[in-house]
Amino acid sequence: MIKTLINALHKIESGMLALILFLLIVLAAYQVAARNFFDSGLLWGDGFVRVAVLWVTLIGAMVASRSDDHIRMDVVSRYLPDGFRRLAQRLTALFTAVICGLFAWHSLTFIGFEYEDGTLAFGAIPAWVCELIMPFGFTVMGLRYVLHMISPPPLEPPDFGLEESDSRREAKS
Amino acid sequence: MITLGVVIVIALALLGAPLFAVVLGGAMLGFYSNEIDLAVVAIELYRLSDTPLLVALPLFTFSGYLLSESNTSKRLVDLMQALVGWMPSGLALVGFVACAVFTALTGASGVTIVALGALLLPALTNSGYSEKFSLGLVTASGSLGLLLVPSVPLILYGIVAQQLDVGEPFTIQDLFIAGVLPALLMIVLLTLYSLWLHRGGVIPRIPFSWGNLRSALWAARWELPLPIVVLGGIYGGLFAVSEAAAMTALYVLFAEVVLYREISFKKLPSVMVDSMVMVGGILLILGVALAFTNYLVDAEIPQRLFEFTQEHIKSTITFLILLNIMLLVLGAVLDIFSALVILVPLILPMAVGYGVHPVHLGIIFLANMQIGYFTPPIGMNLFIASYRFKKPILMLYSAAFPFMLVLLVALMIITYVPALSLAPVEWLKGSP
Repeated sequence: MIKTLINALHKIESGMLALILFLLIVLAAYQVAARNFFDSGLLWGDGFVRVAVLWVTLIGAMVASRSDDHIRMDVVSRYLPDGFRRLAQRLTALFTAVICGLFAWHSLTFIGFEYEDGTLAFGAIPAWVCELIMPFGFTVMGLRYVLHMISPPPLEPPDFGLEESDSRREAKS
Repeated sequence: MITLGVVIVIALALLGAPLFAVVLGGAMLGFYSNEIDLAVVAIELYRLSDTPLLVALPLFTFSGYLLSESNTSKRLVDLMQALVGWMPSGLALVGFVACAVFTALTGASGVTIVALGALLLPALTNSGYSEKFSLGLVTASGSLGLLLVPSVPLILYGIVAQQLDVGEPFTIQDLFIAGVLPALLMIVLLTLYSLWLHRGGVIPRIPFSWGNLRSALWAARWELPLPIVVLGGIYGGLFAVSEAAAMTALYVLFAEVVLYREISFKKLPSVMVDSMVMVGGILLILGVALAFTNYLVDAEIPQRLFEFTQEHIKSTITFLILLNIMLLVLGAVLDIFSALVILVPLILPMAVGYGVHPVHLGIIFLANMQIGYFTPPIGMNLFIASYRFKKPILMLYSAAFPFMLVLLVALMIITYVPALSLAPVEWLKGSP
């Protein structure tokens, strides 16, 4: 049951990323053509493109959290003995989970203000709907880091991400 | 209490906590100590959707991923070989130029070493270059081209610097123009080094052939319009940077998937997802860094930092020397995107205080980062090359070292001759 849910979430994340990128390319290119050749353009287009950047950021970061692929400094940790590295992994995962949780909570306050104000993001879409991705994304990331704290991802030999990535393996299977 | 928090956050950063969490933790700690509601960090992150220019990053990154997944690297090397391979030290020049172009398009994430190194290394050793020279060349060239359009770090510097509003307005186009001569200077100095090292005709020259050029041009026919789409649009002022990014992504998508058919429709989604995961990681750090910067400015930290340094450092030259040393070290430790979003807000106000133009600082900053990529002992590209070419890391240290010295000379010139970066910008502005 939980497995199916997690798999579904993975599919949704990947699907959303590809879909948003596709829409970004098509829409941005359409806007260029419309502006330069017909002197027009979709009024909501620019607004959509900007919100899409926020969504790509958060969903991309959620996917990166699956296998703890975020950018980090590894000057010190790379040279620690394995036992210490394990401990460091658990500690930093705990810290990340707490920070994500705090952010998710406080972003809800912000969305509450925006809901009361009734600000519009683009077209007839209220801003608070677009902002929901922030608490949602950080909650998912926080939960993933709770899991990383309980069972840290294996200490892989440093291949600098040159091997196949998660999503590519997923696409093949 | 707050001091303890700061110590814990720094310790966790060193232990390898994700940087977005470190920066976000720092920002929250700062706002908390100033008794500001923490909802402000969410407001700051939401500013990601307030910056129209940002959309250029996912679009250019996606184009770069597509290009590195197809055979562009081979066509690029073949074309360069047909064009300049006949010159003395021609193949070395091919390597420098091809790497610079490829890095500008794909970012310096190690892709250049993996994709071009695999082609260039055997080609170089087969035509008589020593293994050490060849290894050094591909390692050092893995970050060459950071200063050229449409390099994502260059755009990111522009975005971060513009957010700061230091009173010296500039456009992203100014940065693009300023990067050209410094990048050329690096390539020229590296080529001179190769010419000097191989003086007396040690390396047999390859004669020029129209046939080769024709077939290389034919093979690259669908990619040849690409520079026009990227450069013509931006430099020509036909479209804004974000629009050029959209046209580039659309064109590359069409060329690689439909015309060359090197990326199947089945594989396309995974390339899209991979590139967006990369972008997500970078933009998340940018977003939380916006919040952190806001706190720093609120607490007047850049200003205090400037006053403090001014007590000890009087001249611009001394400031620049110290800046170079600091950036070289940090360039080896931090990855380029984190360095940009975390350090630029601290350094830029100081640099402007010493009379350094923001555009010039951007070029200095990236030139330092470029060298930091392969500075022993911890430059990232040394490890990538060691891993990729199965050579001991110590061998790469000694192979890359002479190239580092050459590029340090270039860095000195770039730093102390601001006109190299700024004169073309002024000149283009002056002429209507």
